[in-house]
This record gives sequence, structure tokens and C-alpha cells, in this order.
Amino acid sequence: MAGMRSQAMHFQARAGQKLADEVLQGALRRAQPLFTAKRQKGMASLAADGLDFGHLRAAAAAIRQAVLDDLDVWLELFEARAKARGAEVLWARDGAEVSQLVVDLARRHAVRTVTKSKSMLSEEAALNAALLAAGVRPVETDLGEYIVQLADEPPSHIIAPAVHKTIAQVDALFADAHGRPRQTRHSSDIPALAREAREILRPQFLAADMGISGANFLVAETGSAVLVTNEGNGRLVTTLPRLHVVITGIEKVVPTLEDVATLLRLLPRSATGQDISNYVSLLTGTKSADESDGPDQTVFILVDNGRAGLLGSEFEPMLRCIRCGACMNHCPVYFSLGGHAYGWVYPGPMGSVLTPLLTGLDQALDLPWASTGCNQCGEVCPVDIPLPALMRGLRERQQHQQLRPRGERWARRVWGWLALRPRLYRWLTRGLVRYLHWLADGQGRIRIFGLVPGWTAGRDLPVGPGRSFHELYAARKRD
Amino acid sequence: MRIALYVTCLVDLMRPAIGFASLRLLALTGAEVVVPPGQTCCGQPAWSEGDRPLAAALARQAVGQLLNYDVIVVPSGSCAEHIVHTYPQLLSDEAGWRDAAQQVAGRTRELASFLAEALPPGPLPGHFAGTVTYHDSCKGLRGLGIKQAPRDLLLRVNGLNLQEMADCEACCGFGGSFSVRFAEVSTRIVDRKCAAVAASACGAVVGGDLGCLLNIEGRLRRRGDETTRVLHLAEVLAGGSGD
Repeated sequence: MAGMRSQAMHFQARAGQKLADEVLQGALRRAQPLFTAKRQKGMASLAADGLDFGHLRAAAAAIRQAVLDDLDVWLELFEARAKARGAEVLWARDGAEVSQLVVDLARRHAVRTVTKSKSMLSEEAALNAALLAAGVRPVETDLGEYIVQLADEPPSHIIAPAVHKTIAQVDALFADAHGRPRQTRHSSDIPALAREAREILRPQFLAADMGISGANFLVAETGSAVLVTNEGNGRLVTTLPRLHVVITGIEKVVPTLEDVATLLRLLPRSATGQDISNYVSLLTGTKSADESDGPDQTVFILVDNGRAGLLGSEFEPMLRCIRCGACMNHCPVYFSLGGHAYGWVYPGPMGSVLTPLLTGLDQALDLPWASTGCNQCGEVCPVDIPLPALMRGLRERQQHQQLRPRGERWARRVWGWLALRPRLYRWLTRGLVRYLHWLADGQGRIRIFGLVPGWTAGRDLPVGPGRSFHELYAARKRD
Repeated sequence: MRIALYVTCLVDLMRPAIGFASLRLLALTGAEVVVPPGQTCCGQPAWSEGDRPLAAALARQAVGQLLNYDVIVVPSGSCAEHIVHTYPQLLSDEAGWRDAAQQVAGRTRELASFLAEALPPGPLPGHFAGTVTYHDSCKGLRGLGIKQAPRDLLLRVNGLNLQEMADCEACCGFGGSFSVRFAEVSTRIVDRKCAAVAASACGAVVGGDLGCLLNIEGRLRRRGDETTRVLHLAEVLAGGSGD
């Protein structure tokens, strides 16, 4: 039972497929302005509340950083407080251990059906496949997750798992799964489709023996899980079944409820532009004798899966991430390709950093390069993660470990050697600019450039007058 | 005051006119303007490719060439940002270079932001009959906070009208080696920029970074747009012939 297999090595090939997928491109084209407009609205509401994004994000980053500075302490406190409220706390080294623990729990508690609220950690673990193999039926109840489960696909976005799907595709999936004829749908039909899913899911909520959720935060002082959701499915998953399993990363712990309050000012605003999500659930312990709702048993599975290894490294700031999705929502590369091109659980800029760190530098060679360095991601990150700098750091690691192609390394070595010898560089570039000029057509443009074919595949190359600046400047000074 | 113009490798090879336009504009400040000899590349490409030793060697070379000037002006947000932000960090462990790198970084200015402060008030030499739109390049905007300076300068050009296009702050998709390594993705991103330029119906798109401009112009022409001019800010402000 391994975790989710990474396909990140196929980024280049997948990028080509995704660019050629007109349906996907249409979905992405429609989605991006909606995402950015939502965050803009969220930022406007911050300002209207007299709050400053810069100050707030410094506070949020400091909270998250302080946790990482003493992660073991906060985790031990969380474990003690959670146990004091009757919960069980289990630890998993990797995705395989997560699946094993959940399957064991399912066996021990004679579980046949599981309802799931969104959990990216369960994606890291490929938990659904493990449950199915063990004869347990997992039902995704987040609408987007339900759609991608029907399509037998992984989510393509961390907060909008089905953003790559069109309404027509969703209708076809529902028609086939729910045994009805396909219909022509418009965006005004979205509520009807949601209602259809809800009607299918309701009996599942009631029948499930186990509910599995993630957690946006773990609160050390109270031993609670904080769940930020919009659809209400999270509450049904975490309170109706007799057994509730929370699967989350060890870095999700924060010290106090007050810290949660600070982070919640930024999380929904950064993600969906909401001042506050429709539901904020604070789940603590099990159902006590005088309570009518809640699970008889609560189990936390706290997962490392490579995270602890980042502590103290230059990549530690990545662990501050609160999974809002703003970085991908503002990424020109993400919105050219969608999330599946990235090949593992996390797409966009945070995925380009996290995937190589968690699955292996040599397992995702392209991802740290899948960025123009524009820093539109870093600018919107609510916990101030320097995403382009971290991607650059990963490139440096690739160079150290000699993971780059030989041709690329030699090209840079030769260029660097010349650039450090200005006289020779000047002499050779005299030839280069003449060659470029000679290649150009009457309008000063190269249409096909054999030296750099990638450039002229989709663009002309406008070139200069056949003389370099320094050459012309020297001639002018002589006159 | 002695001003050094750091021409940048791209302007040197691909569009010398930007360098000469920058010289003419800097001369208007009344200061002595010099092009320090021996310039090749600031080393930003090596740095972003993760080649720290080469980036440091090129940084030392440039610092040595630029140390004896009061101001170093760079007609590129990207190269200026690299000198200002990366040089001090890159050479911080080298006792012989640390202070020099900090000095050069502290005196380095991107062209537009420097001109906006240093030029005497009044109209600029350029003439432009028509409407232009301005593309904010990423490193200038998000790295150095350059937003208003180029616009203020453009409005001082006779006859020029400035009209903002949609998403003027969105990346054009160039990204240095990204434009070649992921050429198709880069082309898809610049297509959005080209569409915004086209929708603005301006006669020219102006920017402060030649990399972005080559990318935008290259794609506009390939899309069949033969008329929209793609100009560096210095060319518009200085007017006249490029060389």
C-alpha cells in the first residue's frame, strides 16, 4: 500500500496535452478571473474592517513560524490535550502508514462505508484506493471531490477540486452515475446539480460508519481540529458516524484559539474572498454523556510524510502554508495547464515547491522550473512564503546534485566562461549580432531560429541592427 | 555626480537604441554619464538557474566595474532588481566583496524611477502622436515597487496619451529561460498579454524590460499584428533616432 504515485516527471508531456485540451482551456479561462476577483473582494473587506493585509500577514506568518520553531512541543501539547478530551492520537510516517492505520481502524470497527470531507492528506496517502482494496467504500462528500471521484481523477486544485470540469462534463458524470439521461446545462443549473448530488449523498451520510476529514488547523491548547468549509458536508461527516478520523499534516498545529482567529481573518479571504466561510467547525474530543451529537470515537492521524525533514532547512517556510490556494489562483502557469499537469497532489506554485520536497528532488525535475518568477504568488500568500525564491533554491539543489541535463550545464558553463572574459565576449558577440541580423527578414525578425527553436515555435524574434551597443558606443567615442 | 549606465546584455545585443536613448535622457540631468567598460551580463540568468558560483563570479565582475560611480542606472527592472537585492546576499560571505556589493546595490537605480526624480521638470524630448499602454514588468513592479514613475514620465511626452490595458500587472510569460524551456506555456501566457494589448486599441505598448518586450513583440507579430509598436520607455521618452 504505497502513497499516491507521483507523475510529476511527466510535466512537460502533460503540459503539451493540457494546452491542446480546448475544453480544459475554456474551463480555466472562465475560472481565473472569478478566483482573482474573489480574493480582491476579500482584500477590500479587510480594508473596510480597517485591517491591513501587510500587517495581518506578518502576524499570520509569525504565528506559523513560531509553531515550526518548536513543532515537537506544540504537537506533544496537542496530543496531551486531545487525549484528555477522549480522542485517540496516532502518528504516521508516510502515506502507506496512513492507509494502514485507517484500514486497521475500519476492520476493528467493522466499517463498511466511509464518508469523507476534503482531505489532501488522504490524497497523499492514496487512501481511497487502499480502502476500496480492503472492501470499504469511501464516498467523497465535498461537491467538487464527489465530481472528481465519479470521474476517477485526482483533484486539480486544493480548494476547488473540479475547477477543470465544465458543466456539461459534470452533467454527463451525474447522468451516468445516477442513472438518468444527460441534459443540456447552463450555469443557472448549478444549484440543480448540487441538489442532485445532495440527494444522493444524504443517505450516505446517515449510513456511514466512519467519517474522515482533514483539518485546517489543530489547536494545541484545546486539542481541537478546526474545519473551514462551505457546503455543510464537513459537519455531517464529522458528527454523524460513530467514528471520526481526522487526517492531517503535523505542521497544521497552532498554539491557541486566538491564533486561529488571526489566521481565519486571512484564510477564507485569500481562498474564496469570504469574510468567513459558511461553516467554521471546532471539533474537540468525543460525544460526552450529556451531548446528543458527535462521534463515539475520534482518532487523529498526524502525518509526517517528509515534513519533519524540512524543519531547519532553507525550505522550512513552505511548512507555514495554510492551503488557501491563492498562489495557484494567481499563477499564469497554473492557469495555462490546470492542476493535473503537476502530477501529484499539490499543483501551482506551492505544489512546485512541495512536490519535490515531499516526493524527492529527482522525482519532479521540471516543477521548480515551471515558473516565470513573476512572484504574483508570493505577493498574495497570506503567510508570506517566498515561493519563487524557494523554487530557485530547489534549482540550486538540482545543480548541486548534478540532476540537470549535460547539454544544459555545458551551455551555461560556456556562456559563463565567456561572460567573465569581456574582451573575448565582445569579439564573439560582434559576430553573433551580425549573424542574427543576417538571419532576419526585411522587417528585422527571425521566423525560425535553429539555435533556440523553442522561442520561434510560437513567436518571432525581433533582432537589432547588426551591431552591438558596446561596439556602436566605442565607434562613437572614437569619432 | 558621475552616473554609470549599466546597459544590460539584452540591450547590448538585441536593441542598442535603448542604451543610446538612456544616455540622452541621463545627460538631461546635467550629470556626467559614463558607460563603464567591460560590461557583459549581471549574472541574473545564472542565479535563477541555481548556479550560485557563476552568479557570484559575474556579480564580482560587475561590482568591480561599477564601484566608482555615484549612481548606477539600469534600463531594466529585472537586472536592477538582481543587483539591488541579490548582490548583497550573494557576496555577503566574501569579506573582500561584501561592502562593495552593498555600496553598488545601494547606488543602483532602475531607469524610470531614477529619471522621475532626477530629470528637471517640464516636457521631455520625445514626441509621440497617439495612445500608448504600459506593461508593468514583474521584477520592476513586484521587486522594486516601480509603478507610477514610468507613467508620470510618459505623460510628460508631447502628444502622448496613456491608456491602461486590462491586467497590466500580469506577467507576460517571458521568465528568461522559462520562455524557451516551456516555450508553449510561455506562448500561451503571452497570448493573454497580446489580447489585452489588442483590446486596448493603443498604437504602442511600452515597457521597461527588453525581455518582456521581445516576448510581446515576437508574439504580436506572429499573431499577424504588424502595426502595434512595442517600445522601451527610454525610446519613447528620448525620441529621435535610436543611434
